Amino acid sequence: MNPTTNTIFPKARMDRLNALGLGIAEGKREGAYVYDTDGRRYVDGYCSAGTFNLGRRPPELAAELKQALRETDIGNFPMISREKAHLGQALAEFVPGELECSLFGVMRGEAVDAACKVARGFTGRPRLLSLEGGWHGQSGFALSLSQREDASLFGPLIPETGMLPWGDLEAARSKIDGNTAAVILEPIQAENYCREATAEYVRELAELCRTNGALLVFDETQTNFGRTGAKFAFEAMGVSPDILVLGEALGGGVYPITVTLMTQRVNSFLNKHPLIHLSTFGGADVGCRVAQKALELYTRMEPWKNAREKGGLLMKGIADLVMAGGSPIRGAVGKGLLISLDLVTPEAATEFCRKAIVNGLILLPGEVARHTVLLRPSLLITEGETQEILAAITAAAQ
Amino acid sequence: MGVQGQAGLQKARVPQQEKKRIEALFGRYINRGQMKYLRAGHLDVLETQRQGVGFTDPYSGKRMYDCFTSAGSFNVSRHNAAVMQAMEEALDEWDMGSFGLMSEPKLALAQKLVSLAPGDLKKLFFASGGGDAIECAIKLARGATGRPGIIATIKAYHGHTGFALSANGKEHYRHYFEPLMPGFSFVPFNNLEAVKKIISKDTAAVLLEPVQGEAGIFPAREDFLKGLRALCDEYGALLIFDEIQTGFGRTGRLFACEHSGVIPDIMTVAKSLSGALFPNAAVFYRDIPRLVDFVEQHPDFHVCYGGGSDIGCRVSLKALEFLMENRVWENAERMGAKLKNALLELQRENPKVIKEVRGLGLMVGIEYGYEFMGPLMSDALAQRNVFAAYSGNAPQVMRFMPPITINEKEMDEVIAAIRAAIADMKRLLPIASIAAKVPGVVKLLNSERVQTSVFSFLRYFERSGGKA
Repeated sequence: MNPTTNTIFPKARMDRLNALGLGIAEGKREGAYVYDTDGRRYVDGYCSAGTFNLGRRPPELAAELKQALRETDIGNFPMISREKAHLGQALAEFVPGELECSLFGVMRGEAVDAACKVARGFTGRPRLLSLEGGWHGQSGFALSLSQREDASLFGPLIPETGMLPWGDLEAARSKIDGNTAAVILEPIQAENYCREATAEYVRELAELCRTNGALLVFDETQTNFGRTGAKFAFEAMGVSPDILVLGEALGGGVYPITVTLMTQRVNSFLNKHPLIHLSTFGGADVGCRVAQKALELYTRMEPWKNAREKGGLLMKGIADLVMAGGSPIRGAVGKGLLISLDLVTPEAATEFCRKAIVNGLILLPGEVARHTVLLRPSLLITEGETQEILAAITAAAQ
Repeated sequence: MGVQGQAGLQKARVPQQEKKRIEALFGRYINRGQMKYLRAGHLDVLETQRQGVGFTDPYSGKRMYDCFTSAGSFNVSRHNAAVMQAMEEALDEWDMGSFGLMSEPKLALAQKLVSLAPGDLKKLFFASGGGDAIECAIKLARGATGRPGIIATIKAYHGHTGFALSANGKEHYRHYFEPLMPGFSFVPFNNLEAVKKIISKDTAAVLLEPVQGEAGIFPAREDFLKGLRALCDEYGALLIFDEIQTGFGRTGRLFACEHSGVIPDIMTVAKSLSGALFPNAAVFYRDIPRLVDFVEQHPDFHVCYGGGSDIGCRVSLKALEFLMENRVWENAERMGAKLKNALLELQRENPKVIKEVRGLGLMVGIEYGYEFMGPLMSDALAQRNVFAAYSGNAPQVMRFMPPITINEKEMDEVIAAIRAAIADMKRLLPIASIAAKVPGVVKLLNSERVQTSVFSFLRYFERSGGKA
């Protein structure tokens, strides 16, 4: 089977896959690996943009979903359910601080849109601010707050949105005011060469939000559940967001579920206006079971520790490679197992991905900084798999 | 499987204490207001033993007919054995898969979907749910035409994310989240003249549900749809059908657009593609240069990590096979006619209670005389073992959308329950009707918040002493 010869999906997407060396069909998958239908094995360094934090098809999650589907189903979305209640409780216990209340979604953009709506509803103010270089998702609010070349194609987007220049506190002071509903940020802009906000800057933003009565929203869809070597990036920065957006890693790549978490104070808006933001599939009861099991695994395995350790090994290996010279990699930035390589040009980034897959490693370029390549493998990779990744990167850099 | 013959399913009683515990958790960690709201309409039921056309209320042990089905998500019935088996098997081999990469399940479902889609809707994107599909559809329309204008319909319901919410035609869902996107305008449903007045060379698309669902079940007239098709062609605008609720047999055809034969340029489907078990959705678009050229220039204009997953595609494929093998839409047409005729008869008998009966296939709605009757009827029906929700958008309207696998005997039971519930409710009417004559009281009774408080008090009264 040549999966890219179909006429249903865009030919240009199929061409791009082929250019990246990804004209394969994903077949068997297990842990850090995925196999194509010809039986070739690859380390998954893409993990569907950080969905597979616990590796491919985690057996405990597959088993839990099998059990859950006999006992429950998607459920009627407006209804109360034990699965939603229990997952809500488990999330409140898992996530540090006072982020106690859950609003579920299916995808990350939806969860970001929910955060924006709750911020407007709660504050009664219109203005939403994000940071330049962000990539929050594909839906209306998320797109309006993302730095995308193609955003202008889609007509006038959500009004009263704006971007703060990166790291510029003066600009933040002048733009965050009594009209601001929320400031939303990714602690690390994964698609933008893993640009990381400094803790000092974020703490200042938090303070500006607090004094102006605006909410601080953390979009951790790319950094959550240990990806950066901490359970959540906000913890490490010493701030307490009012709203926290968690992405598909919540369902461990077995069931699509995301969540917008908020404090009781902020949730008072939704208590006053129940069922004003709905999602048919968001918080599906079977999905809640999977997510709850995933939280158990995260708690038991503490994969952030392994992410820290293996991320350190990878960064050291890549730094050695860059230092040695002669490689197309100009530099690397990373935290935990969220690593971005600078290949200088988009063409070189594509070429690098193509060579990596030949050497058994799946990688994709960054969406904002297209001259970069992102590496985000399973958080549970072993020492041997880490060496395998390094060997593939070294070979691809030849 | 109906309410009768379910003895085996009636074991799962849950003590009241356990229910209280779950309610306390739900109130604290999810939403307290939602619980109060549901309790007011006797809808605070924990769904267990989800099977066939219903579920069990574990507190009372009662079997309930599910006439809401998550707004039409359970067309293949709940816990459909074939779909369950497909999902179990999928879990031995697949996970969600990686967005963008190809796989056998994705290709198989895509091929199946385009083989069933009407006309030249032979291309598609996957999406993670109905709202996401609408986001994709509107972006495609604006992108392909380079125009900003979207004409949607008053009372329309398309979803809650940015683009979809901007196309929602009811203030209720928009109010607290304004300003939404410019360029969206709204016309009365089934009113072609109104569209003619505002459609222009700035119009990217006309977007509508072939049967307005949440608004209160308004089927589009054939001449309206044909007129829209002609108008869109004349102005170079695209026609988008939101078949999220109407798709996959609900209206008596596989897709509602088959009734009129009007082929849209873009068509969204979701809900019942899930097989009641796994989220999935799709956006079909026609194989025409205007759309294809844009997509080929911007193939990743709308990416989606949650939809079109490998497990989801396996589940959806089996759900589609089940629908096709059993020609379930034919059953929807028969049972829908039965239900509608019975409701029309009830309307003749109770003209003050039932103002109108509308529907297409098994998407049937009752419009009551007053808004406050919706919650009252939800309540009365729940006591008669039928779970039916009134529209948040229009509380005087109640939707009946049971699984379209429902059989004759089950349909008879649902109809009998509706009949009995109307009789129950009528006992309250003399008081309500007198009260309704006092200026301001109707407005008060129609207020959701007042209803929630009043009904919550009644529930409390009932539990504390009204009932032995």
